[in-house]
Amino acid sequence: MQRNSRLKRELQLLSTEPPPGVSCWQSDDNTGELKAQIVGGVDTPYEGGVFTLEITIPERYPFEPPKIRFLTPIYHPNIDNGGRICLDALKLPPKGAWRPSLNISTVLSSIQLLMAEPNPDDPLMADISSEYKYNRHVFLEKAKRWTEKHAMQQTKEMGEMDTENKRTKSAVLSHKREALSSEVQNSKKTCF
Amino acid sequence: QMILAVDLFYDVLIDDEWIYVKETITTHRCVSRKMMERRAPLPPQHYSTLISELESLGWDKLLSIDTQFSTLKLRANDRSGRLHVLTVHLKPKYPTEAPECSADLPVPLIITWTPQSILASIYNQFLALLESLEEFWAVLDEIDERTWVLEPEKPTRGETARRIAIGNNVSMKLNVDPQHPRMLPECLLLGAEHLVTPLRNKLNANMHLWNPESSVLQNMKEVLEIEFPSPTTHEKSSFLAECGICYSYRLESAIPDQVCNDPRCGQPFHQECLYEWLRGLPSSRQSFSMVFGECPYCSKVCYTLQAHARALLGAPL
Repeated sequence: MQRNSRLKRELQLLSTEPPPGVSCWQSDDNTGELKAQIVGGVDTPYEGGVFTLEITIPERYPFEPPKIRFLTPIYHPNIDNGGRICLDALKLPPKGAWRPSLNISTVLSSIQLLMAEPNPDDPLMADISSEYKYNRHVFLEKAKRWTEKHAMQQTKEMGEMDTENKRTKSAVLSHKREALSSEVQNSKKTCF
Repeated sequence: QMILAVDLFYDVLIDDEWIYVKETITTHRCVSRKMMERRAPLPPQHYSTLISELESLGWDKLLSIDTQFSTLKLRANDRSGRLHVLTVHLKPKYPTEAPECSADLPVPLIITWTPQSILASIYNQFLALLESLEEFWAVLDEIDERTWVLEPEKPTRGETARRIAIGNNVSMKLNVDPQHPRMLPECLLLGAEHLVTPLRNKLNANMHLWNPESSVLQNMKEVLEIEFPSPTTHEKSSFLAECGICYSYRLESAIPDQVCNDPRCGQPFHQECLYEWLRGLPSSRQSFSMVFGECPYCSKVCYTLQAHARALLGAPL
């Protein structure tokens, strides 16, 4: 009951007043499946990239947080190779900090902030995290390379792509992601 | 026998050009043929009596009649032109048996009936009752026109209570006594404590100034020393803040009347939404039917009544 009225209002606000660098839309009509894009921040290794995310609005929303996952591969201490994000706003208390005063828009802005400011003390990817802590230039280099490889929209490619092909693109992205799983080794998960 | 009676009725109406009633009767002719075996027909006198009674009452008073010719809706305008509807249900032994009457009124409709009574006598008693309620409706009409009524959404003539907006999430529920409409009504002030307390103090201090000569709204303004937001001065949205949880104003029919008591926050919620959130939190605690927990917006302790407790106590309006 609360979910539908909330979702309707939020989508309206997201289309008229989206947070800077973020866009979000309903992927299918009348479902709780949303897509979002976050533009990589300036002076971050993600600059120039556009990161696509998948949002699922649970039945008990807003009493439960939205489920958000990166579809575009990203090299980040708090985001694993399944695209899962370690962010307290995405979890219910007592572990997390989700509350109904937050919404899709503020959570996406928090993710944008997390991209710019990783939280290595609460890592999801232990290796990337220690790299970020002790070997910053290697981290920055790798993160930049991943951005170029996966998150850059090549203008030529974009021009050729029509709306129908965009669906294929997300399929390609998740395929890419699976292939990447082997690339990051010993990824011990310590978040949660 | 029944068809005969209906035809008689129909013939009378031919002159009258009352399309709606004619249609009803035509429908009745079709329906009655099928129903004949099942329903024992009323004696023909029933219909002829009814016709002559309606004739003396005036056909223009008849709003509708059902296909059994037993339930009539009669219209009546009071002195100020408000339209009222009197529903009369005739019993099989009419007129020996008193008909059942109902109308949208704030007081019970008690009709005196003797076997000699006719429809017109009910109608006149109804008019007299309308006359006695004239002042009550005048008081409520003024409130409905000059303030933002939050509840009920579409007040009927029988409703005695109004919840009217005073400011952002501050409202007042008035219950006007139909017998003494100009006296100080029963009042409930609703909203955050820090906003409501000064108003309550004013009400208590200035109560003696109540002047039964002037209207309830005028008296309220003077006693509370405020102006009520009205449709001419305010947009409804300017003080009808939505619930901080479901982002809507109406949830079913409920409005966000739970307000965070921290003056700097004052966020409104639907009781149901706030309860649903607080009950899931490990940091919330419950004391009798109250649930205490952190406001989702400012983290200060706020509280709400448990859903079923509220239902038992009778939700305000």
